[in-house]
Amino acid sequence: MKKEDTVKLISAEGFEFVIDKNAAMVSQTIRNMLTSPGSFSETQHGVVRFPEISTPILEKICQYFYWSLQFASGKETEFYIEPELTLELMMAANYLHT
Amino acid sequence: MSAPKKRNFHIEAFKHKVVVDPRYADKTWKVLEHAINEIYNHNASGLSFEELYRNAYNMVLHKFGDKLYSGLVGTLTMHLKEIAKLIEAAQGGLFLEELDRKWADHNKALRMIRDILMYMDRTYIPNTHKTPVHELGLNLWRDHIIHSSEIQTRLLTMLLELVQRERTGEVINRGLMRNVIKMLMELGLSVYQEEFEKHFIEVSSNFYSLESQQFIECCDCGDYLKKAERRLNEEMERVSHYLIDRTETKITNVVENEMISNHMQRLIHMENSGLVSMLVDDKYEDLGRMYSLFHRVPDGLSSIRDVMTSHLRETGKQLVMDPERLKDPVDFVQRLLDKKDKYDNIISLAFNNDKTFQNALNSSFEHFINLNSRSPEFISLFVDDKLRKGLKGVSEEDVEVILDKVMMLFRYLQEKDVFEKYYKQHLAKRLLSGKSISEDVERSMIVKLKTECGYQFTSKLEGMFTDMKTSQDTVQEFYANQAAETADSPTLAIQVLTTGSWPTQPSTPCNLPTEILEVCEKFRTYYLGKHTGRRLTWQTNMGTADLKATFGKGQKHELNVSTYQMCILMLFNNADCLTYKEIEQATEIPASDLKRCLQSLACVKGKNVLRKEPMGKDIGEEDAFFFNDKFTSKFYKVKIGTVAAQKETEPENQETRQKVEEDRKPQIEAAIVRIMKSRRVLDHNNLVAEVTKQLQSRFMPNPVLIKKRIESLIEREFLERDKEDRKLYRYLA
Repeated sequence: MKKEDTVKLISAEGFEFVIDKNAAMVSQTIRNMLTSPGSFSETQHGVVRFPEISTPILEKICQYFYWSLQFASGKETEFYIEPELTLELMMAANYLHT
Repeated sequence: MSAPKKRNFHIEAFKHKVVVDPRYADKTWKVLEHAINEIYNHNASGLSFEELYRNAYNMVLHKFGDKLYSGLVGTLTMHLKEIAKLIEAAQGGLFLEELDRKWADHNKALRMIRDILMYMDRTYIPNTHKTPVHELGLNLWRDHIIHSSEIQTRLLTMLLELVQRERTGEVINRGLMRNVIKMLMELGLSVYQEEFEKHFIEVSSNFYSLESQQFIECCDCGDYLKKAERRLNEEMERVSHYLIDRTETKITNVVENEMISNHMQRLIHMENSGLVSMLVDDKYEDLGRMYSLFHRVPDGLSSIRDVMTSHLRETGKQLVMDPERLKDPVDFVQRLLDKKDKYDNIISLAFNNDKTFQNALNSSFEHFINLNSRSPEFISLFVDDKLRKGLKGVSEEDVEVILDKVMMLFRYLQEKDVFEKYYKQHLAKRLLSGKSISEDVERSMIVKLKTECGYQFTSKLEGMFTDMKTSQDTVQEFYANQAAETADSPTLAIQVLTTGSWPTQPSTPCNLPTEILEVCEKFRTYYLGKHTGRRLTWQTNMGTADLKATFGKGQKHELNVSTYQMCILMLFNNADCLTYKEIEQATEIPASDLKRCLQSLACVKGKNVLRKEPMGKDIGEEDAFFFNDKFTSKFYKVKIGTVAAQKETEPENQETRQKVEEDRKPQIEAAIVRIMKSRRVLDHNNLVAEVTKQLQSRFMPNPVLIKKRIESLIEREFLERDKEDRKLYRYLA
């Protein structure tokens, strides 16, 4: 995976998740971030920090991105969410506009 | 969620910072405000999107949306006021560029801000029905920049000035114009219209009104039209380059109005270069231009059409009524054909084959052709001339073309039955003297007439052809049968004509020479033997004869003469000198015909086989005629006295007219009876209308005439008047 195609998402605890740009763009927020005309630091370095999202949530979110790309191509699979994560996941989803 | 394991889970409190700090909102806002300022100062590179987004998100989430929004409005306003000052400070030409640049900056900044505040746009704004960020930005721009009084006026003047410069031929910065116009459009269509379009149209309209005044004073019609066309194209191009499409119709209307509509009448009627002179000189390009320009304005085409029609009728009338022209019918018709060709060309080349113009042309032609009551006769003479010699050597397609054109003129005639009469006469003469160049062409003409007018029109004409054919066969049989007996008599070529088909001629008395008489009688017995119940009458005024004559020095010539002339010449076999009276007595030819024949035998140079004393053109009662021994001619065969169709003299014309009128009466009556038979009961006006409709393909019946015919039919008890209503007629079986 080339460097230009990826973006790094960093959780509150400092965990780094490297994912495809396509996957990240599922989130409207991240999409805007990366395509905004201004020269924000995120676009320049390809790194986005989320100091308020915890690692397991961020991990689940990345999984969701990939699942959603798969779903778009037609395969119907169930995306399993552990009940404990639900609330925080929803909050994060709201934040990220996913 | 089918987890069997029951887990004790409890909702944990948010890991987010709960708002405890009352100045949390202020702090957050400060961060955002700072960010916005940085953006406007082109310093955005150091900012973190995520941080700003999170801050905005938190503010909205914790119900500080109002503060965020109002803060946004305040900050934007402040920045825009600064920008306005900067723009105002720009000098002259740089003004627009500065405006354009600042606009681009503003747009970019606005987009960034919108992205950051996306959450607010999504949730807070729909809830409170406030303007979304982007739109807010545009509105604020409009309010503080465009509507700032100084900028507003300067903007407008600069834009109009640039357009003016371009109109006078300078090259301007079109890209800049386009951007500025686009900006106005993005702020809203009404902004564009109010700030720019309205004034643009007004100024343009003044400009063109002035310019058109100038041009029309100094240019002639063709030049003026060229200039107008150029300006029109220029404006359309201008719109496509840097204005909005909606403006196109408005500005073209302005140009059309000022340059064309207002001066339309003047252009058309301009001396020496207006419509009339263009028509006369066949200026196709100018006419085409006028057509396409006038097409755009209301009443443009109808004005052209009206002027063309009146001009056509004028010149047509002159042509038709000119006494000089009337002397030569063939020329007359040729000129009509030329005129039609000319206008057909104009309509197809310049007026785009417009049907309305075609109709105008047709109605004008119909109008003036029928002004001259001798038109049908002349057209028939024209065809006669062509069929005798005019079409010799012309290819088949060309022949068809010429005949088709003549048919077009024929269609315009209202008195087609007059034409029929003349055509029959001329055709008879052609057939009997064998002067037609080609039977195929004759037949082709008949077919055309049939297609145009129906079978009735041409049945008699076709009968004439049949007669000719039958006669040929009959004569052949006669000579085959009677070969022995007729061996040493002069050879007769006989045409047997059915009375109904051929134009009626009164049969004139004429004493045929004895040799001829013998053969005639033999033929008569033969024919009547074959066909019982028929009657034969010799038409001596329509025949020709070939005589072999020997003159003084022994030169032999073959003379082709009419039957009358033959009778006269045969008399000189027995006598050298005869007086007029003697000739008259011997031949019993009527006086006027006799005089004409003698004139052509004695007075025409090169054809004087007889000598007259005293010399002179007029024939007197006491004149004496001598056989001219000294007659010479280059040719062996000499033709004397043609029987060609001539333009009728006045009395002849009157006579024919009368015959036509007589013929019309039964036709009208037949039509009336036909109509009444099917309708049974009909009132006067409707009856007249129906009769006219039925007969108009042959001639236009006069309502007075129809009334007379109705009266006559009532007298003869074909119709009756209704007892109560005097205007109603009833059919009597």
